[in-house]
Amino acid sequence: MLGCGQDGQLREAKKNTVMVEVTSQVWDYRMPWNPGTVSSGRGAGFIVAGKKIITNAHVVSGARNITVQREADPRRYSAKVKHVAHDCDLAMLEVEDETFFKGTSHLDLGGIPELESVVSVYGFPIGGDRLSVTRGVVSRIDYNAYTHSGRESHLAIQIDAAINPGNSGGPVMQSDKVVGVAFQGFRGDVAQNVGYMIPTPVIRRFLKDVEDGKYDHYVDIAVRWMPLENPAMRKYLNRPNDGRGVVVTDVFSEGSSDGYLQKGDVLLSIDGHAIESDGSVRLEGKPVQLEEIVERKFAGEEVRLEVWREGKAETVQVPLKPADMFSMYEVLYEPPPRYVLYGGLVFQPLTANLMAVMAGGADLRLKQKYTMFATDQMYRETPEPVILSAVLPDSSNVYLRGLAGQIVREINGKKIQTLTDVGPALAANGERTVIRFEGDARPAVLKREEVDRSTPRIMAQYGISEVSRTEVGERRLAKGSFEKGDEK
Amino acid sequence: MKSGRFFLATALALAMAGQAAEQDEPQGSVVRVRAAIQPYDQFRPWQKKAPYGLNGTGVVLPGGKVLVTAALVANRTEVGLEKPGSAEKCGAEVEAIDYEANLAVLQPERAEFLKGFRGLALGPALRAGDMAEVWQLERNGELLRNQAEILTVGVGRYPNDEAGFLQYGVRVSLPKRDDSYTLPLIRQGQLVGMVMMYDRDSQEGTAIPGPMIERFLEDAADGKYDGFPTLGVSWTPLRDPNLREEVQAPKGGGILVTRVNPRGTAGRAGLKEGDVILSVGGMKLDEDGNYRDSLYGPTAIGNLVRVRPTVGSKARFLISRDGKEMELTGTYDRRARDEVAIPTLSFDAQPRYLVAGGLVFQQLTGAYLQEWGDKWTERAPQRLVELFSFQQEKRADPEKKVVFLSQVLPAAINLGYQQYSGLVLEKLNGKEIHSLAELGAVLDETKEGNLVFEFMDDPGRLVLDAAEVKQRQEEIGKAYGISELRRL
Repeated sequence: MLGCGQDGQLREAKKNTVMVEVTSQVWDYRMPWNPGTVSSGRGAGFIVAGKKIITNAHVVSGARNITVQREADPRRYSAKVKHVAHDCDLAMLEVEDETFFKGTSHLDLGGIPELESVVSVYGFPIGGDRLSVTRGVVSRIDYNAYTHSGRESHLAIQIDAAINPGNSGGPVMQSDKVVGVAFQGFRGDVAQNVGYMIPTPVIRRFLKDVEDGKYDHYVDIAVRWMPLENPAMRKYLNRPNDGRGVVVTDVFSEGSSDGYLQKGDVLLSIDGHAIESDGSVRLEGKPVQLEEIVERKFAGEEVRLEVWREGKAETVQVPLKPADMFSMYEVLYEPPPRYVLYGGLVFQPLTANLMAVMAGGADLRLKQKYTMFATDQMYRETPEPVILSAVLPDSSNVYLRGLAGQIVREINGKKIQTLTDVGPALAANGERTVIRFEGDARPAVLKREEVDRSTPRIMAQYGISEVSRTEVGERRLAKGSFEKGDEK
Repeated sequence: MKSGRFFLATALALAMAGQAAEQDEPQGSVVRVRAAIQPYDQFRPWQKKAPYGLNGTGVVLPGGKVLVTAALVANRTEVGLEKPGSAEKCGAEVEAIDYEANLAVLQPERAEFLKGFRGLALGPALRAGDMAEVWQLERNGELLRNQAEILTVGVGRYPNDEAGFLQYGVRVSLPKRDDSYTLPLIRQGQLVGMVMMYDRDSQEGTAIPGPMIERFLEDAADGKYDGFPTLGVSWTPLRDPNLREEVQAPKGGGILVTRVNPRGTAGRAGLKEGDVILSVGGMKLDEDGNYRDSLYGPTAIGNLVRVRPTVGSKARFLISRDGKEMELTGTYDRRARDEVAIPTLSFDAQPRYLVAGGLVFQQLTGAYLQEWGDKWTERAPQRLVELFSFQQEKRADPEKKVVFLSQVLPAAINLGYQQYSGLVLEKLNGKEIHSLAELGAVLDETKEGNLVFEFMDDPGRLVLDAAEVKQRQEEIGKAYGISELRRL
């Protein structure tokens, strides 16, 4: 019986699993004007209904050229990224040449496999060029960090088959259905033969999200809550000792719940699911964190909360949107880095990518700005802190080199709240440009005349063709009112 | 042949040194100092850490007292003196101690103990290139004397003072001895410094210069130790001609004030951020903040404002403000150091704490943060790091001490709160809390009802029942072996 199913599975998997070869370019945030270093890699993907290929976002990040190839056809076909979702590490590819799909069918998505059940991982891991199959047992189903984005956690399934480079994006199958996408192994040396796959609820969510032709980010209720286990706390909030409810401890301004929920609200149920005092709800008979209800929703949808507020029960409908106040912590892949160059001074917005290259060079003030940006809701004042990321050595700026890494507070008396403020502030009239920083660092003072003379020299010397790059498509800042490029 | 001659010359020098030794009668000028050290455990403030011993070579002073570095006797439980080459011992009291300057004077419990010793007088200040000797005691009481060359004289960091004092850089080859924690620097039978740091690999070390010792001893002589004054400003060099123009600095010299502590010497004399300090006490400052010392040549301002003047003496500043020169006068003091919300140094003192319902509250100190290790800025709770590191911006009022929840000792009463730590307490039952004493008072007067603790950060609020807290105190103390549940 099982043998029969396995044969069918293998046949279907062979037909529909594809090798994805990618040449990508990674931006260099140390020198944001450079196109970056080119590298190539290999992953896997599989064909789903509608002649689309699903793979991991990290397989195709920064791709400049993508080719796909099937086991049964030696030709390589050119592919393009149709949609990419870095937050859940999924991407959809398109192949223009219809002949690629000759002899293929497609794979269907299944459900969440049972613990201890056997799954098969298909892909093209290191060690050879042909399709590889590995079997593993489902060992855990839980929330886990999705390392590609740098900040997201979603449902993930742990299996005891090693997932190696080249497996990424490949289908994980049980009988004739896809039950997951292989996406990451275990970091570090402490565990062996541990692999993770993206389960079908996450894949389905991605597929549904892009139905309208555009991928929106995951949504978030953007509140913090604490378990309501303490009897004194329950009494204080006038709640009976019934083991139900969690208390809202913080509501992020500009987030979904801003204006809908308040600190001190007790959340009793979410979309009709009773919330336990530890924050869990029952979903399809299994306990999950209450966030799972929100995870499955889309931007613009609502979540219905039963709330205990000032001794009364109320129902609150919260319209959902992404938690953009945390977007700073997402590693950026596609958009080229934005910067402004002025007399050898390089200004960049504070991003995860910039912090990664500054690491040791960042002082305590900058590190704290970064780590506490969202929790302290600094974005209300400064949606996008601007950093003097480097001072390119030139005879005109010898005294300014020690200022690299400072957080720009104002330029020529104008407050700097996003990178787009920098250009106009620098253009202000006057003989001198004065740049002031947060804290007690000295100001940087430049003579306009000198900058005009040094800029072409510096650009030639450092191979910089554009004096600035500030418009790169959509940016998600926590404050909606702030400038956005044209959305694509 | 060449090497032979070199050897001969060295031997000659040693013979001469030996001759000098007899004249100096060194045996009668130094004693072994044994200190039993037991620091407090900042993470378990009700107890001390494991004890250990430190040994050093103390210098007998003409008045029958003994000089050592402060580091030798920090967090001591007991200090003893021992005659070299004999087992004769005597206890000693610390008469005056300065952790910033790293010096301490010990008074023997029995005055006759040092009878027959010849106190070493202070010698003149040394210059780069001068030779001196470092004295160490062998186990058998013999004196070990090693030639030391003064490499540099300048202002540099002390172990417990970032701003720095004058110090000698010395090159000397010191064998490892168990009495080497503090060693005198001697020249022609006179005390000229105390070695405080030594690196065996480079064979270089730093010594506290004679003039620092002289100032320390003068201050301590009247029985009331005042300490070294401090200016209470941050400043930056004024080499950059553009910056000079911007702040309208007159031609030549001067430094730019970037922050002023209103309680400090400079602040109370009327100095403001943006002022250019041209001279202090009639001594002109160059663009890097150096004055011309009659003995050492160009020397950092630190020596001019911290070592030369005494607390209470007159401070005179010539400044330029908005291009106009003016003279400001005030009095040197240490308030910028001593009157702070969060003290940097806290040796010898038991940390303050209060346990209520298993919630452990402590008063924030630099010592607590240091307990997190070398990477304390990354590992300690970020809010505490911020308040301490940017104290002048975030907690300028010295009366507003920082009381924080350092940990929760799990007990039934604090169920649901056990995951919290590092939270700054703002209010209890609506009353602002600025010290552990205030916290204790509110706790004492609340006999029943709720105790609502309000914190600066998430979760914002924790609630306990006052009567239950009282009832459970003894039980929690017993369970965790804490005999005193508060030390305010």
